[in-house]
Amino acid sequence: MTAGALARRARRERALLLLPVLVLLSLVVAVPALRVVVLGFTRTDLADGLVSSWAGLTTHARTLADGRFAAALRNTVLFTGLSVLLEVTLGTALALLLDRSFRGRGALRAVVLVPWALPTSVMALAWAWIFHDTFGMANDLLGRLGLAGEPVAWLAQPATAMAALVVADAWKTTPFVALILLAGLQGIPADVLEAARVDGAGALQRFRRITLPLLVPSFVVATLFRAIQAWGAFDIVYVMTGGGPGGSTETLALYAYQSWFRYLDFGYGAAIALQGMLLALVLAAVVVRLASRREVE
Amino acid sequence: MTPSRAGAAALALLLGGIGCRSEDPSRLPGITLRMLVPANERPFWLPLAESFARSYPGVRIDLEEGPVPTDLRESLTTSALLSGDGAFDVVYLDVTWTAKLAAAGWLLPLEDAFGEEERDAFLPQALAAGVFRGRLYRLPFRTDVGLLYYRADLLAAAGIAPPRTFAGLEDAARRLQSPPGRWGFLWQGAQYEGLVCFFLEVLRGHGGSWIDPETLAVGLEEPEAAAALDFLLRSRAPGGISPEGVGAYKEEETRHLFQSGRAVFLRSWPYVWSLSQREGSAVAGKVGVLPVPTLSGAPGAGTLGGWGLAVARSSRHPREALEFLRHATSLESQRAFCEPTGFAPARKDAWRDPALLAANPFLADLERVHASAAPRPVLARYAQASDILQRHLTAALAGLAPPREALAAAARETRIVLGEAP
Repeated sequence: MTAGALARRARRERALLLLPVLVLLSLVVAVPALRVVVLGFTRTDLADGLVSSWAGLTTHARTLADGRFAAALRNTVLFTGLSVLLEVTLGTALALLLDRSFRGRGALRAVVLVPWALPTSVMALAWAWIFHDTFGMANDLLGRLGLAGEPVAWLAQPATAMAALVVADAWKTTPFVALILLAGLQGIPADVLEAARVDGAGALQRFRRITLPLLVPSFVVATLFRAIQAWGAFDIVYVMTGGGPGGSTETLALYAYQSWFRYLDFGYGAAIALQGMLLALVLAAVVVRLASRREVE
Repeated sequence: MTPSRAGAAALALLLGGIGCRSEDPSRLPGITLRMLVPANERPFWLPLAESFARSYPGVRIDLEEGPVPTDLRESLTTSALLSGDGAFDVVYLDVTWTAKLAAAGWLLPLEDAFGEEERDAFLPQALAAGVFRGRLYRLPFRTDVGLLYYRADLLAAAGIAPPRTFAGLEDAARRLQSPPGRWGFLWQGAQYEGLVCFFLEVLRGHGGSWIDPETLAVGLEEPEAAAALDFLLRSRAPGGISPEGVGAYKEEETRHLFQSGRAVFLRSWPYVWSLSQREGSAVAGKVGVLPVPTLSGAPGAGTLGGWGLAVARSSRHPREALEFLRHATSLESQRAFCEPTGFAPARKDAWRDPALLAANPFLADLERVHASAAPRPVLARYAQASDILQRHLTAALAGLAPPREALAAAARETRIVLGEAP
């Protein structure tokens, strides 16, 4: 048998072995996703007993005149931007800390992952209680520090409600960001840093000139993962604020959910989900683009 | 299978997994009727299921344990009915779901199985909440009504008569409160259905109305609505009678505060009564109940809530399911369910039942309040209308929009939704 024939056979076998996974994935991911795409171009609601009728782009066009969609989009952008910024900042600090060798590092590395392992709805419920104006820890803490006169009604005001969501999300997902960055840090060869030190570079210089640039791929991965997840935030908002007050924390995912399950407006819910997904793709492309430009520099 | 159904079936599979029980009822001989009940009510449904199985050998009721929050069960019920595979035969539904589920074509009409005489056994408002476009889809099982709880001990000590008017409530609350240790008046102000229930009571108390179910006229731009919203804003303003935090409170937050003795007045539902009288409650024996206040002092109309039963159109055993409805809404079943739970029954004769009254003396007081309970409009797009009101009310409460503008915007959006109504 020639080498070419062997390679062909290997390729065939590989394809065969991949087939079950592909079939399974297309069943559980591609088919439902395609259904949603189709649904977004129909009118499927209570008006005609949930029987779909082709609507072309009219269902999609409804978002243009929908103030609630605009508000949800704004909230989603705000939540994604703030939470990712906070998580990457804190995650970097945490990763640098965990990268050093000290007693109990192994235990600490395990412990910081606990928030990430908790189900979101459980931790969101706990945070809702932390921000409770009367029984909550946040106000108790402020009071003890002598900072608060009146108790703050965190979840009843738009700005503080959004801040509470961002803090809760950061608490949960910073460990995830730290973990990715830590892996990146450990991949930086020690001899490069050592060489820089021998050449007389200070700690800050070493960090800016060597560590940070070499960490860029890890930053990209962490930011992408977090941004996409934050963009689809549903459970944390649903549990902590329900989108309130005045819809000021409603995300696109929550609005789509409400359209489906409360309004039985399946066409419009699909349109919201689709447009949200398209915007998320654009967002992801921008992140990757920016990062790759930095890398070239 | 329509596209929507396939998507929802996938979701139903995901969500449905939550409620799965280990034993497989389909392996047992005979017929199994399935229904979703909140986990905390299941122990009280079991006796009903058992007594039904005794009367109908070969038919058993499988009570799926569902989440306690109403909106989660609304989603579960919706996805199960949407999949159309007969996941549930009997549907346990909130008062506001009827129109939507009926408009979607998921429920069986009940008039053929329940004649006029049988229907007359129920409280008329509770029964009417199950009627959509002239057909009956839901039998009432238990009822709820908005009430005003007050600290009888504090009012008596200060020589203040239980207030019947908004002014009286504000005055008494202001005199007896000492915030933040003890607040004057607690209500539900989070962005959810409970806020609508409370606001409608205040609105009716000011002589206004939200949506006329007949003419679909929207009353949110009338001066009465502005006055009602002003009451909410006033009570939460600095120096007011309610904590700013009510803007994020649902029923349980307000109950915990009231039950720990940290409020003078509380607007809530009948379930608070038995809990507040339990051992360990700081206010046991110190609580009184009033109808919700009005401008004039006439007893106000609390918002009607409650849970009922329907038969899923996708059920493979509709005849047996109808029999279970008959059984569950019988006087014996109402007694068996309401006695241990303290819930208010939906049958007229249950309200006069000596055994039930002996167990829950509170029912006697409640009856007057119940007779005047006001339903929410029965609309297929009720959820949209309610969400519009919720959003604009909380926007006004959070200071995002001036009150009149918020109400005008709510009225405008409501008219659009109702104009599209099927």
